[in-house]
Amino acid sequence: MSDNPVVKSARGRRSGSWRGEWRFAAAGLLITAILLVSTGACAVWAERTQGQSLQGAHLDQVRGTGRLLAQAAEGLLAANELSALRRLVADSSQDLGLSLCRIALPDGQVVADAIPSNITHKDLPERWTGAVVEEGEAGKGIYVFPVVVPGRGNARLEMMAESPPATAAFWQVMNGMGAITILALAATMVAYRWMQGRLRALAAVRMALLAHNRGEVGPAALEVDAALGLEAKAWNQLLAHGAGQRKEDAIKKTRETLQARRQYTDHLASACDALSQGLVLVGRDLRAEYVNGAAAALLRTKRETMLGAEVASFLADDRIVSACRASTGEQMPRRTIIEVPREEAGGTTLLRFVIRPVRRDDWGVAMIIIEDITQQRVADQSRHAFVAQATHELRTPLTNIRLYAEMALDEGKQDTAVVSNCLNIINQETFRLDRIVGDILAIAEIEAGTMSLQQDDVRLEELFLELRTDYAAQADEAKIKLLFNLPPKLPIIKGDREKIRLAIHNLLGNALKYTPAGGQVTVGAAVDRGRLVVDVVDTGIGMSEEDSHRVFDKFYRAKDPRVGKIKGSGLGLAIAREVVRLHGGDITAQSELDKGSTFTLVLPIPETVN
Amino acid sequence: MPLKERKVGAVHVLRLEGPLRGEEAVPFRDRLVQSVNASLGRCVVDGAAIPYVDSRGLEVLAEAGDELAQTGQSLKLCGLNETVRQVLELTELAPRFEFFADVNAAVRSFL
Repeated sequence: MSDNPVVKSARGRRSGSWRGEWRFAAAGLLITAILLVSTGACAVWAERTQGQSLQGAHLDQVRGTGRLLAQAAEGLLAANELSALRRLVADSSQDLGLSLCRIALPDGQVVADAIPSNITHKDLPERWTGAVVEEGEAGKGIYVFPVVVPGRGNARLEMMAESPPATAAFWQVMNGMGAITILALAATMVAYRWMQGRLRALAAVRMALLAHNRGEVGPAALEVDAALGLEAKAWNQLLAHGAGQRKEDAIKKTRETLQARRQYTDHLASACDALSQGLVLVGRDLRAEYVNGAAAALLRTKRETMLGAEVASFLADDRIVSACRASTGEQMPRRTIIEVPREEAGGTTLLRFVIRPVRRDDWGVAMIIIEDITQQRVADQSRHAFVAQATHELRTPLTNIRLYAEMALDEGKQDTAVVSNCLNIINQETFRLDRIVGDILAIAEIEAGTMSLQQDDVRLEELFLELRTDYAAQADEAKIKLLFNLPPKLPIIKGDREKIRLAIHNLLGNALKYTPAGGQVTVGAAVDRGRLVVDVVDTGIGMSEEDSHRVFDKFYRAKDPRVGKIKGSGLGLAIAREVVRLHGGDITAQSELDKGSTFTLVLPIPETVN
Repeated sequence: MPLKERKVGAVHVLRLEGPLRGEEAVPFRDRLVQSVNASLGRCVVDGAAIPYVDSRGLEVLAEAGDELAQTGQSLKLCGLNETVRQVLELTELAPRFEFFADVNAAVRSFL
């Protein structure tokens, strides 16, 4: 049994259901009454029509027979055949069921009658008088026919037909009609009872529709008792289908919403994973709620390990934990920046942690942004060191220039030789200053990435010839043996001629500078596996292993006191190597203290040039 | 296959001199992974001396690129010749990497 209000209403409040049925019930009763009345009226009308028709037909038959009988009577009376006439009259009366059938003379004497006792004249007179009667009704239902007997006189045939059994026919019809009506009524009642069942279902459905119209949408509230019939079952099925459809729609919509949210979350997670900065969201309980890939990598742990773990377990720095606690509390600081150095096998890594609160409803979460700023810090330090070194390198010649200028001004009036010496030194220092400024600019260009390379044809044979020419005098002056060990033919390579020339000049210049008198510098060149290999070998003071590793650093001067006595900015080799590297090559150094050094320059030779 | 590693500031620069091909790519991959891990991803591959790359080499580069992508970083390649660059473009691997003209430019990208 269903407990829903509509069914209760349809079943319990019968008046309510009857309210729904009474129109149909009244209509049924009215139709039944109309049927009964019309059936009775039809019966009466049919009976009357039939009776009149039968009576008319009977009278017509009587008239026709009367005429025939009158004609026959004329002949028989003329022939005085009374016996035959009387049998004929009796037979006709019996056949037609006449209540009166006789032949009478004008004086009223009856010569023939269906009832023999009514005959008043046994014999027929010879002649008689009397007028001829006209055919027609003579009153009291007696019909008269003229009988003209030639040679004797006129007589008349009187006939009276009995009425048809109208009363008996009416009741027969009424009985039949009544029986039929009773059967029809019974059938109507059965049909009505059947319809009543259907109507109860329809009434329940109607109540459900009215409830729906009032705003009720729950399928359980709109359902009707299935026992009410097929309509009720169909209604319930319709409701179930609608509910199922709505459910499917709701599920589909929810699924779409979830899918969209999941896509959004996925996109957000993907976007966060694409960040090179580490991102950690810390909840109120100081546990990690979200960790992106970079955070796990920067903290050298796994994301799965971090998720849900306490911040202190993967960030040992108390300052960070405190900042997270402050950010998740009521007093939210704007942001806290903490830099944490970390010693690792490859050197010191510097991580910057920015902790800032993110408000969520009535409390906040802490967002930790982790950034690897090692390279920035190294670059800053390098820049500062460069500026300091450059300042120092510039100050030395400037100081000399200033001192010798003062000396020339003070003592030059008395001694022109002093003036000449001072000017000479000032001139040299100016050149030195110019070279240092040039080197600093070159280094700045290299570091800024603005140094551009020209793509010239570098004719190596010409280049080495220039070198030989340029440095021959210097080598002779320093009493150093300068040798060029070159193959008979060198290729033409693609590259920036001036910068390659600068690099080889720096190598050769350094070799001559740090080789004492009596030493030897050998410049060799060869093409090996698509590469140009230039070796500059000297028998100079050489370098320690530590110096060998740092000789290409900017402004680096070896710690050897002999080096300190030789002028130099410490930029030449750095520039030479960067220039060669820009060409895709490299410069390496091998050295042994007090024995000499070998600098090897390697430049790739593009196949197209070969 | 000469493989050289140097540091420019805090950035590891891995320079391969020769083709990145076949089984020779394996030691390169190992060294690259080691370098990436040691430097927290501050790593640059100097490809100026790589004349060509075969499928195994491409695979190694793609693996390294994907590995770095998971931490929001990307493999920085510099100095690649036109041939290698075209191969990366044609194989649709190029979007996985960052390309720079030279080492300095690549190193500066970490600033």
